[in-house]
Amino acid sequence: MPEFLQFAFMRNAFVATTLIALMGSLVGYFVVLRRQAFASHALSNIGFAGAAGASLAGVDPMLGLLLFVMGAALVMAWTGRDMGERDVSVGMILMFSLGLGALFVNLYSANANAAIGILFGSVFGIDAGQIRWIAITSAGVLLGLGAIFRPLRFASLNPQAARAQGIPVATLDTLFLLLVGAAAAIAVPVIGSLLSFAIFVGPAAAAQAWCGRVGLGMGLTALLALLESLGGLLLSYYANLPASSCIAALSFGLYGLSRLPIRALRA
Amino acid sequence: MIEARGLAAGKGAALAFKHVSFQIAPGSFTALVGPNGAGKTTLFETILGLIPPRHGEIQVLGGTPSRMRRQIAYVPQALALAHDDALIGREFVSAAFQAHRLGLPLPGSRRRARAAVDAALDTVGAKDLATRRLSTLSGGQRQRLLIAQALVNRPRLVLLDEPLSQLDPAARDWIVAVAADLTRRGIAVIFSTHDINPVLRVCDRVLYLAQGRGRIGSVDEIICDETLSELYATPVRVIRDGGRRFVFADAPAA
Repeated sequence: MPEFLQFAFMRNAFVATTLIALMGSLVGYFVVLRRQAFASHALSNIGFAGAAGASLAGVDPMLGLLLFVMGAALVMAWTGRDMGERDVSVGMILMFSLGLGALFVNLYSANANAAIGILFGSVFGIDAGQIRWIAITSAGVLLGLGAIFRPLRFASLNPQAARAQGIPVATLDTLFLLLVGAAAAIAVPVIGSLLSFAIFVGPAAAAQAWCGRVGLGMGLTALLALLESLGGLLLSYYANLPASSCIAALSFGLYGLSRLPIRALRA
Repeated sequence: MIEARGLAAGKGAALAFKHVSFQIAPGSFTALVGPNGAGKTTLFETILGLIPPRHGEIQVLGGTPSRMRRQIAYVPQALALAHDDALIGREFVSAAFQAHRLGLPLPGSRRRARAAVDAALDTVGAKDLATRRLSTLSGGQRQRLLIAQALVNRPRLVLLDEPLSQLDPAARDWIVAVAADLTRRGIAVIFSTHDINPVLRVCDRVLYLAQGRGRIGSVDEIICDETLSELYATPVRVIRDGGRRFVFADAPAA
């Protein structure tokens, strides 16, 4: 066994990060395809307010995070009919949530560390119980994504034609935002809300620049997410740097590489 | 194929049109003409069952519009794209194949999708676009892919919503030829346009909407002083020039 896997915290971190990388990146493929990167980033950040509110109320911060994120997903779906036109409402929901989060932290400064920890995540603090929840949620999100894959793909690429064909575009939009919300709620305690872009958007954006096919692109997205997250963990372990920073740096590096006009890298 | 009697429809409180009656035959080319706001898109939405008629009735392919929707294809005006959209043509077209089904496509379904996409691309003369990235395509090429996507589930009726509005003249001729070819394959086409001239030579009938009213007939029956003056409720003059027709009221109207 490699040296870094001799420690339970490293093994837990590897399992949790692998599950989150696979689930988050595959959901992220559609986030990028549907140009909902801002909504996904906002959902991740809204979790901070939920966790802070739960700390204040004396309940599990995870429960508050989940309720806030899923509630925000529903409000976003309700306020923006067109997926490309909801930037303003998403921004307002995000602003209000962050304001609430700051208020909760201010009111309950005694144990605000748990909520503030949500902002950056604590990948090396994951225990077996959390891994079980991450595995169950990841399986549920991926099953949900698989179930709506075909109508969601059509509605993402040509919503007007999909609606004309009788595909419930608005319902799909709500379901997808709920999947993003569930994915964000389970990923945020591990990778942090501020750095969730690294998993939800970075790999998919790079893969879509390199690959013009949906199936192949999703496979490449998952591969890049695993490379970024597991590579980030190793870099963090050996260089003694924060794991989230390493994952974010690798995600940014791959995205930057994908923007280079190198034809040979495009499939 | 479509039979509408005394149709009235609209969004919100106002009616876009009322007392509109028409029939569309299988394999026919109908030009849906009218100024902006005349109700062309509302009529398409009524045919698709997305808007219920306020008055009158409409039968599409022998059933109610919402029941027959899967046999109708709608082609929107243009393809909304990010500047860096890297998806290739084949992937875009195949996204519509059996898109109402839940679950991931199985291997058998993928084979059928490939055959359906090949046939659709061939029909619109876009085989060469199968491996091209959408971001590298011209407006006319994107329009052809939109039509190919509409054909992938073998519809019996295709509604084209202002497909010429953002195209140069050469691309316009291409799209009109592609639409006319669909009618030779037995597919009925309703082609909405501001300007009748690009489709004059191929359309069987003209359905003209203006001022909340509608009339259907041959080009000569509809694009004439009498009919258009009646529709616009104001004196209108149609001038013919080298096979083209120009409509004038106080200001040019179409």
